[in-house]
Amino acid sequence: MKRAIVLLLAALAPAALAFTDAEKRAIAAHGPWPPAFAPDPSNRASGNRDAIELGERLFFERRLSANGEHACSRCHLPERNWTDGEARALGLARIDRNTPSLNNVRLQRWFGWDGANDSLWAQSIRPLLDARELGMSDVQVAALVRGDADLACRYRKVFGILPLKDEAVLVGVGKALAAFQETLLSGRTAFDEFRDALLKGDQAAAAAYPDAAQRGLKIFVGKGACNVCHIGPAFTNGEFHDTGIPFFIEKGRVDPGRHAGIQNLRASPFNLLGAYNDDPKRSTATGTRHVVLEHRNFGEFRTPSLRNLVLTAPYMHNGRLATLRDVVNHYSTISPDRLHADGEAILKPLNLSEGEAQDVVAFLESLQDAGGRYRRKAFAPDCR
Amino acid sequence: MRNWLWLALFAPAAQACELPGGPAEKLESPKYTIVYRAAPPLRVGGHFALEVAVCPAPSELRVDAWMPEHRHGMNYRPSVKDRGGGRYRVEGLLFHMPGRWEFLFELRAGGETERVAHAVRLE
Repeated sequence: MKRAIVLLLAALAPAALAFTDAEKRAIAAHGPWPPAFAPDPSNRASGNRDAIELGERLFFERRLSANGEHACSRCHLPERNWTDGEARALGLARIDRNTPSLNNVRLQRWFGWDGANDSLWAQSIRPLLDARELGMSDVQVAALVRGDADLACRYRKVFGILPLKDEAVLVGVGKALAAFQETLLSGRTAFDEFRDALLKGDQAAAAAYPDAAQRGLKIFVGKGACNVCHIGPAFTNGEFHDTGIPFFIEKGRVDPGRHAGIQNLRASPFNLLGAYNDDPKRSTATGTRHVVLEHRNFGEFRTPSLRNLVLTAPYMHNGRLATLRDVVNHYSTISPDRLHADGEAILKPLNLSEGEAQDVVAFLESLQDAGGRYRRKAFAPDCR
Repeated sequence: MRNWLWLALFAPAAQACELPGGPAEKLESPKYTIVYRAAPPLRVGGHFALEVAVCPAPSELRVDAWMPEHRHGMNYRPSVKDRGGGRYRVEGLLFHMPGRWEFLFELRAGGETERVAHAVRLE
């Protein structure tokens, strides 16, 4: 009798779906989370507490814009997963691309939708100088730091000196901004709890993960093959793809994506092969040294992370798709005719049923953390 | 006769083609033996290098990789450093997707080119 009750209770208890060994290995590849911190050797301020504090102040500093009204935080809002909710960002002028999230940004190999920068500090310099974004020059950035006693004090604390060369001051500002952004990491999610429980064989804990999310995950690593590009703990392979999103901006203008990104990378004085890399071994410059420019790069954009993507709508490089459901529908009905003839042969219409599409959305929603991790501090000019 | 024997005693038995330091993949072609090892071990999204030994040593070695089913190669062009004696270091490789990849070894000597492919699967 007792045995029958135990069996009955076991039968009534919620259970995780059955996952094959291959599925488990694919799921395991999306963790563990969070990843350990590894300082960026190209940035001597990486992981430095004083640099993080300086970077945080600079991130919200409106004087770092040509009109004195904008800061990095205009487009990267903490409460919106460090995006802005706009299809295309608005700085001093409308920009051609969607604002990418800064959460987990330190895990990237390439930065920006086109990967035109190979370090977070170089990427942090780019919007400062872009006339459509913050519209500053190295002369103006250096003058601000030198002319503000608190900023100058903090700069010296991090880097030892305040250089005479304006461009060198600008690079220091980029490195401090990067040190702050390296601290932005999303938290654990329902998916992470499920992944760990599944790998431990803890059926009871795994069963707490909603059925719809489990079914969506099966599609993600199976029929959908979404994990071909959205792989790894951050759900991105860090590389570039043509996903059939039109790259026409307006009449007579196209966004060349990665094709221009590689050329801009090579031309940048701030790339990892240049003089501002603090790592004499250039140990993180392998990609820069070996990246190859091909015709198929035209219209390719970087695979975004999927963590916390609920808060980053609208989606894709130009914000063309309003909701997660629109994104899933895009891949479900994609026409191979819209892809490069000489490009990758990866995407084909998934032809998901209504229920399958809902399940994939449920899975994507489970990649959301509990939120509220970032608390903006009150800044005081108290550097000594 | 005495000279021939001398040569036979000191010639490598089967021209040993090895990489010291652990297990490695060994490929045979009509003309060459290729031994290679990835370091760090292959994983999706991580740069790696190859240590390669080729016997007999060609005059030039080129290395590339692609995903035949996806119809694309890597986003990086590897560089080959000739260390002499048929030993090479290949740098700058990165497999950015899971699935079946093929290493392509192109060996040139005496105006002839031989190509050797070797498939690996990444999860």
